[in-house]
Amino acid sequence: MNRAILRISLACLAMFVLLLLNVNYLQAFRAPRLASATGNVRVFNEQFKYQRGSIIATGDGSDVTIAASQLIKGTRTYQRSYPQGRVYAPVTGYDTIYSTSGIEHTEDSLLAGTDPRLSVRNFTALLTGKQKQGATVELTISPAAQQAAFTALAGDGGHPAAVVAISPSTGAILALASYPTFDPNDLATLDGTKLNQVDRQLLADKRQPLLNRAISETYPPGSSFKIVTSSAAFSTNLVKDTNALVQAPSPLQLPNGHQLVNDGGEICGDGTPPIIQAFWMSCNTAFGNLGMRLTAPVLRDYSSRFGMNKPLAIPLPVVPSVLPEVPGWTDKSLTAFSAIGQFNDAVTPLQEAMFSAAVANHGQLMYPYLVQRVVGPGLSVITSAKTSVLSQAVSPQVAGNLEAMMFQVTHNPGGTAYATAGPQATGNITIVGKTGTAQNGIDNGNLNDAVFTCFVPGTGGQPSPIAVGVIVQGGGFGADAAAPIAVKVIQAYLRAHSS
Amino acid sequence: MLGFVVVVMLLAEASVGLGLRGKLPGLPGAVVVFAILLVGAHLAIRRFAPHADPLLLPLAALLNGLGIVMIYRLQLSGRNGNPGLRVTDMSGSATTTQLLYTGVGIAALIVVLAVIREARVLQRYTYTLGAVGIVLLAIPALLPDSNSAVNGAKVWIIFGGFSVQPGEFARLALAVFFAGYLVAKRNALALAGRRVLGITFPRARDLGPVLGAWAVSLLILVFETDIGQAALFFGLFVVMLYIATQRTSWLLIGVVLFLAGAGLTAMLFSHVMERFTVWLHPFQGANPTGIAFQPVQGLEGMAFGGLLGTGLGQGQPYHTPLVQSDFIFTAFGEELGLVGVMALLLVFGLLVQRGLRAALGVTEPFAKLLAGGLSFVLALQVFVIVGGVSGLIPLTGVTTPFLSEGGSSLVASWILVAVLIRVSDSARGPAPQPIQDEGMTQVVRAV
Repeated sequence: MNRAILRISLACLAMFVLLLLNVNYLQAFRAPRLASATGNVRVFNEQFKYQRGSIIATGDGSDVTIAASQLIKGTRTYQRSYPQGRVYAPVTGYDTIYSTSGIEHTEDSLLAGTDPRLSVRNFTALLTGKQKQGATVELTISPAAQQAAFTALAGDGGHPAAVVAISPSTGAILALASYPTFDPNDLATLDGTKLNQVDRQLLADKRQPLLNRAISETYPPGSSFKIVTSSAAFSTNLVKDTNALVQAPSPLQLPNGHQLVNDGGEICGDGTPPIIQAFWMSCNTAFGNLGMRLTAPVLRDYSSRFGMNKPLAIPLPVVPSVLPEVPGWTDKSLTAFSAIGQFNDAVTPLQEAMFSAAVANHGQLMYPYLVQRVVGPGLSVITSAKTSVLSQAVSPQVAGNLEAMMFQVTHNPGGTAYATAGPQATGNITIVGKTGTAQNGIDNGNLNDAVFTCFVPGTGGQPSPIAVGVIVQGGGFGADAAAPIAVKVIQAYLRAHSS
Repeated sequence: MLGFVVVVMLLAEASVGLGLRGKLPGLPGAVVVFAILLVGAHLAIRRFAPHADPLLLPLAALLNGLGIVMIYRLQLSGRNGNPGLRVTDMSGSATTTQLLYTGVGIAALIVVLAVIREARVLQRYTYTLGAVGIVLLAIPALLPDSNSAVNGAKVWIIFGGFSVQPGEFARLALAVFFAGYLVAKRNALALAGRRVLGITFPRARDLGPVLGAWAVSLLILVFETDIGQAALFFGLFVVMLYIATQRTSWLLIGVVLFLAGAGLTAMLFSHVMERFTVWLHPFQGANPTGIAFQPVQGLEGMAFGGLLGTGLGQGQPYHTPLVQSDFIFTAFGEELGLVGVMALLLVFGLLVQRGLRAALGVTEPFAKLLAGGLSFVLALQVFVIVGGVSGLIPLTGVTTPFLSEGGSSLVASWILVAVLIRVSDSARGPAPQPIQDEGMTQVVRAV
């Protein structure tokens, strides 16, 4: 019988080998897939047991914590909290027990400590008995600029509005504010019932507090788009320099029989002003006429060079700003409107900042970004931002022309923003910019959107420190509603960086 | 070696306390009682089976001890301010009960060793035990559901607060019956018969009683809806037949019959078909929250443990229904990780291997057959339940030997180990001395 028993022994061995192989497969190879299975209650519960990494704003040289997790006293559960929650909500987003948004979403695996780049550290932590911990995300945000932006938006009569500030030479985003907004602390509750209640309230709120207007919503750029039209005109040699004369009939007869008029029906200079005067006065007929001569595809090409017509990830997803190829878009009558930022043109406040940033950086547009560094527990740097060029929007020479024209907008007594962003208003800070007052709604029945894009030129070989884009929905004139907000952000930023 | 087992258990208990509450638990009374029981078992073996394999008791004790620690950990979950959810179908005194059954099991071990001084004594009771086995199996089927059914499986005898799973003991009784019967008839079974298609079939009158016993037990199990037990009985029967006759054809017939039986029951009984569905598509559609909830929780638990586990007391095994009995292996997988379950499987493997070694070593055919069969059925039981909860094969509810909560399985497992210890004692003991001095036999020098 021994031969049979030996064979049965082999069968037993085979069973145990199968079991060993299977548990190895299950626990070593299949485990990551099971961890991401929907409804995995263990992984869901785990999120509260480890300290999620902090999000800090480093744009002013010191660390300001804008999101952190702390142990709730007497428990083993961590609670997410957002000091100054409303101010930074468009950047941080929220981290609820069910979902995330903003930086909390795009950097989730690093903050949660589940990213493969943290696995070596987590493994050693396991062996040494230390707790798993998330990485710290360092943002380019300047707390001074962000705080000023939020205060300015909230103090502006409650209009829906957003402002974005960029460092033109790097693309680092210094401020990104949206109003009205929400307090992510309300959503960080661990109580599912309370969360649902808060969530329902926010979703039902007609003021759309969850909408990140800085990057997720587009508005007509209005006259600020004349920067793009001018760029195309200079770059194609249609207009030689800033003193070249352009046709500015009042009104401009369009091929389809309609007329294009200047704001208030005013006459632009003597009817053939130098382009620089048409720019500082923001004459619609001059730029509408240029647009028709440039044609729509050329305008679209230059809008793309300024970063339009494609989605961006900063790493928050940015809705594309567009000059869309809708049916009939090449019709010259419509192109005249496109050239002055009307018709179907639509841009985000971030795009407004990018217009100025490209001009400020000698025509070179840097890719905008928010995350400067990600630092693992134990202070090892996991990722560090590398600046990259998004596109060469215009040549340095054309950028110089544009800067000269934008200077007149704020420094010529006839410029549209002389009163609100000129030397008297800014306290000797040189700001150059372009206003926009966009009509919108059916039959232009809504209040005008106020738009302002501007930057502080670099001096003494230094690069331009800051470029700002502002859009105030229903704010009225760009110079009146939007420019003061930009000025406040710039003042706060420069003050924080002067010493 | 037993000292090592006790130290492992102490450390594991300390780990549970640290994991759950961040501090050492109080006086580990359970460990002390367990240690005393082990010393008793050790002394009994020294006295009644001095040549027994020295590994069998420590291996079984290690498994039993770790089972008690895990039950202790699961019982604490969600009680007395401990983190986690309460395992609702678990009593607050489960550890004490399990310890009590460990005492009963070790007492049974001592009684078996004391009473049965040689394995072949059992051979006298071949037909008695066969009848006892069948009756034990039949009782739950004949009792009303209120006295026999728990979670759909009608395999219990329940009176008052006391419940027994007679199938666990029936398996042992029937193993003795098979061994006794097959040893008596093995020559007839192996040699006589007709050859059909190259396979020699035994005569009906040799095979009748065995086939009958097997068919009856299978029928009862189908009525009691306990597929796991049925698989174990079938495996036990086929393997013992193979060992007795040495005919490979029996194994082939067995496998074919088993697959046919599985297919047939799957078609006939919806709950069997459901097991296949759950096995093949646990994550499909609503399965993870519906019919596959328990297996999915088990799989996710083991996956959550990963390579090294969360540490005792730091995982969330309480999400898995019946984690203290059928699914206790997944709790080990979650908290001790791949490393822990591989160690557990190796301990089981060693236990089986020592049993088979005893079967090989012993000369007496009855003991050989009994030890071989019991060792195999232990391996098969581990394969069925561990393979079931880890997704290797369809899940059928059998207990995990020595680990699961529950007295019947634990006591029956200790009796099984007692039989293996008895057989190993015979196998390793000195050969019977030829009788030398019957009077003064004269020694004559042959010249």
